[in-house]
Amino acid sequence: MTALVTVAQVAKQFPLAGGNSYLALQGINLEIQRGEFISFIGHSGCGKSTLLNMIAGLDQPTHGQVWVGGRLVKQPGPDRMVVFQNYSLLPWLTVWDNIALAVEEVLGHLSPVEQRQIIQQHINLVGLTAAKDKLPAHLSGGMRQRVAIARALAIRPEVLLLDEPFGALDALTRGNLQEQLMRICEEHQVTTVMVTHDVDEAVFLSDRIVMLTNGPGSQIGNILTVDIPRPRRRMEVVKHPSYYSLRSEIIYFLNQQKRIKKMRSRAMTAVARHGLEKVNLELGFVPLTACAPLAVAQEKGLFAKHGLDEVHLVRESSWRGIVDGLVGGYLDAAQTPAGLPVWLTLGGHQDKPLPIVSSLTMTRNGNGITLAQKFYQQGIHTASQLRNYLQEQTEPHILGMVHPASMHNLLLRYWLAAAGIDPDRDVRLKTIPPAQMVADLKAGTIDGYCVGEPWNVRAALEGLGFTVATDQELWLDHPAKVLGVREDWGMRYPNTHIALVKALLEACHYCDQPQHREEIRHLLARPEYLGTDVRYIYLGEPGKLTCELNQPEYAHHRFYGEGLNRPSRTEHLWIMTQLARWGDVPFPRNWLEILERVCRVNVFTIAARELGLLGTTQTSRSPIRLFDGSEFTSNQDPIDYLNHLAIKRDFSVAEIVLERPQAA
Amino acid sequence: MVAQSQRLSPTLFQLWWQKYASQVLPPLVGIVVFLALWQGVSSSGLTRLPAPSTLFTDEDTRTLLLNPFFDRGGLDKGLFWQTLASLTRVAKGYLAAAVVGISLGILVGVNQILNRALDPIFQFLRMIAPLAWVPITLIALPNVQIAATFVIFITSVWPILINTTVGVQQIPQDYKNVALVLQISPRKYFFKILLPAALPYIFTGLRIAIGLAWLAIIAAEIVMSGVVGIGFFIWDAYQQNYVSEVILAVIYIGAVGLILDRLVAWVQRRIVPEQ
Repeated sequence: MTALVTVAQVAKQFPLAGGNSYLALQGINLEIQRGEFISFIGHSGCGKSTLLNMIAGLDQPTHGQVWVGGRLVKQPGPDRMVVFQNYSLLPWLTVWDNIALAVEEVLGHLSPVEQRQIIQQHINLVGLTAAKDKLPAHLSGGMRQRVAIARALAIRPEVLLLDEPFGALDALTRGNLQEQLMRICEEHQVTTVMVTHDVDEAVFLSDRIVMLTNGPGSQIGNILTVDIPRPRRRMEVVKHPSYYSLRSEIIYFLNQQKRIKKMRSRAMTAVARHGLEKVNLELGFVPLTACAPLAVAQEKGLFAKHGLDEVHLVRESSWRGIVDGLVGGYLDAAQTPAGLPVWLTLGGHQDKPLPIVSSLTMTRNGNGITLAQKFYQQGIHTASQLRNYLQEQTEPHILGMVHPASMHNLLLRYWLAAAGIDPDRDVRLKTIPPAQMVADLKAGTIDGYCVGEPWNVRAALEGLGFTVATDQELWLDHPAKVLGVREDWGMRYPNTHIALVKALLEACHYCDQPQHREEIRHLLARPEYLGTDVRYIYLGEPGKLTCELNQPEYAHHRFYGEGLNRPSRTEHLWIMTQLARWGDVPFPRNWLEILERVCRVNVFTIAARELGLLGTTQTSRSPIRLFDGSEFTSNQDPIDYLNHLAIKRDFSVAEIVLERPQAA
Repeated sequence: MVAQSQRLSPTLFQLWWQKYASQVLPPLVGIVVFLALWQGVSSSGLTRLPAPSTLFTDEDTRTLLLNPFFDRGGLDKGLFWQTLASLTRVAKGYLAAAVVGISLGILVGVNQILNRALDPIFQFLRMIAPLAWVPITLIALPNVQIAATFVIFITSVWPILINTTVGVQQIPQDYKNVALVLQISPRKYFFKILLPAALPYIFTGLRIAIGLAWLAIIAAEIVMSGVVGIGFFIWDAYQQNYVSEVILAVIYIGAVGLILDRLVAWVQRRIVPEQ
């Protein structure tokens, strides 16, 4: 099916006074199908109205093309009727005449009788029969907008373009008009594009929501599909399980954009001091027990000790925020899931390979798989029991994980696949921010999840679910969180990079000492870190290792130890195989080069040696041992390994071309 | 009972008075006080200016006042004819100014380049006082009648032209967008969008222009002696030291000016839609 509207590689530049120009939009690609309702959402000035105007033909793209109905848009036309924000009714014409002006002009081939019928029919459609002879000045804002909608619909456009149509209306009128508009669009199968800044309006009305990043150079940040069935009624929509996750997704996006703007406005120039190239760092983290090394390094002054005296910790609620921060370059470094450096390097983010370096493994373990309590009550305590249960079920079951590149995703998939459950076909996996897992489990929108602590133990303590597997039952001492920096950043600030690894390695060492556990638990419970009750935060050895409801167990973190912190090529290679296995990224034919680029052992070794923590520099030559008894070693052929896995997607092998690193 | 019903059904005048007394009384008092002051100052002998009462006491003036319609040929005509002659001249010049001003204004308003080319000239020409045009027109044009009309034209064309230009330029982008999206034909755009949108501005220009035109006719007629018209009438009366006749003519001029302004305002209200 070919799209009705195609926006291809569109960019828009506005000339400014003084010969400069402002790049409003760039790289916009979008296809809109016939009958779809699309919303553009974004902050003021993100170019969403400009994009709409380019579809309307009122504005011309500087680059790229817009096609509507197979024709290149070069000028405005009645097939793309616009409803403007301020109604744009002609004040000297009555309601009838305003609509008649459009109808006579566009549908002039029809007989006057037919034209009158159409006008009357559309006035009736928007419920303005009694006001048809009034001038716009005598109508309320809502009525005027209804006239504008009637005028637009009367000429039967192929695409209806709405530019913040309800922005100037009071809440009650807005709600009514939204319902009317939706009813009309549904009944007449009108293809609609709407610019809005109202999140609820977007979710309520749209089939897809196009979220635009902030300018200059706004792009499509993400496109959300609204899976709420039609016809929609407001009260039912609000109760639909997707409603709040969609809403929070958009709000996350908009907040993220606001923060990026704030960070951009902050002085990002490197402050060099103490022989380091940059001492003002923005470090990203996600509130999890695993963020302890960062919290400790900050609170115990370890960053400052190593010369980094302007470190600012940036709390992101999801890993996507970390990805956006690293890609956008407004985070200097971040604690990332172990798979994230490889995933970004292989082009997992928007198919654009971005070399990310990992020079420190900060934590191991600390993850678990939680299933909803109902499974425990039905006697499902193992993966194979889950498989048997799923075979009898018809409705889909949804499991949450935090990011496609996180160990949670890979381990959960591995765990499912090992028991014969296809993680894509037998269940559905959904990306959910860690802190939202418990809430979703409680709401019943997911049946379980794989996430880092404290969210497994918390579900268990609250009686919402039980931990079906922890590190012990998955892969003991698996890498969980690593330090990730962009390769070009590492090249530009090599001494800062070493100082950062030193500070964090020392913090890991601190976290590992049992006498500090209580202090760290209370530190992490603070609002700037996890902001949760201290009883959910566990460190150290777990008491029990079997799953049980009465005795909640927790996944235990390991922060420091022999061979534990050194970045491991074998592990990153295994991650590569798993990412390829599930079709996320192709397996790189040049995997040796990729490993070399991702795993920066030398940075780690220098840092450890300077700290005098030489024990950690030893390489572990032992193979990876997973719970199903399989082993993976660094001298194994990874493609052969992949081929021997039972459940997998059709993975591809491709050369991943990375730009040569630029030495500073 | 009878007394009550009388009070309940007052006469029409009483009703009118109740409604408008607050509006009518102050101006009336103002006029009476003004005339009284004038009378006082004139009778005190401080100035040669005749008192308002001379309009009735002076015989010639009384004749003029009471009989505006006499016509003894030549320049010796009643004030009605004098005023009519001036008004005819104004009408011709003003009409020409309206036609030229509106059409040129629209042209310049629509066309950016034309606007850039002509705006400095317009701005320069509109600064020239009506009286300054008189010698030029007398030299340039064949006869006094046409010259007088031309002075009216040249005085009143600028406010019309400039206001029309602004009106056209100020058409909201939204209206233009509507026209663009609907691909309205140029003719329809002109009549359905451009003209109605610019109309308030055009009428502001027309109203300013009628005032200016009436001001200019007096000046023009004074300078271009030997024509029938209220302006020359004043000049003639002054030359012959009929001061009370001058005052009478001045009252005519003020009244006619006021009526003209109200007339245009009335037309404006009728034509320009409320927004």
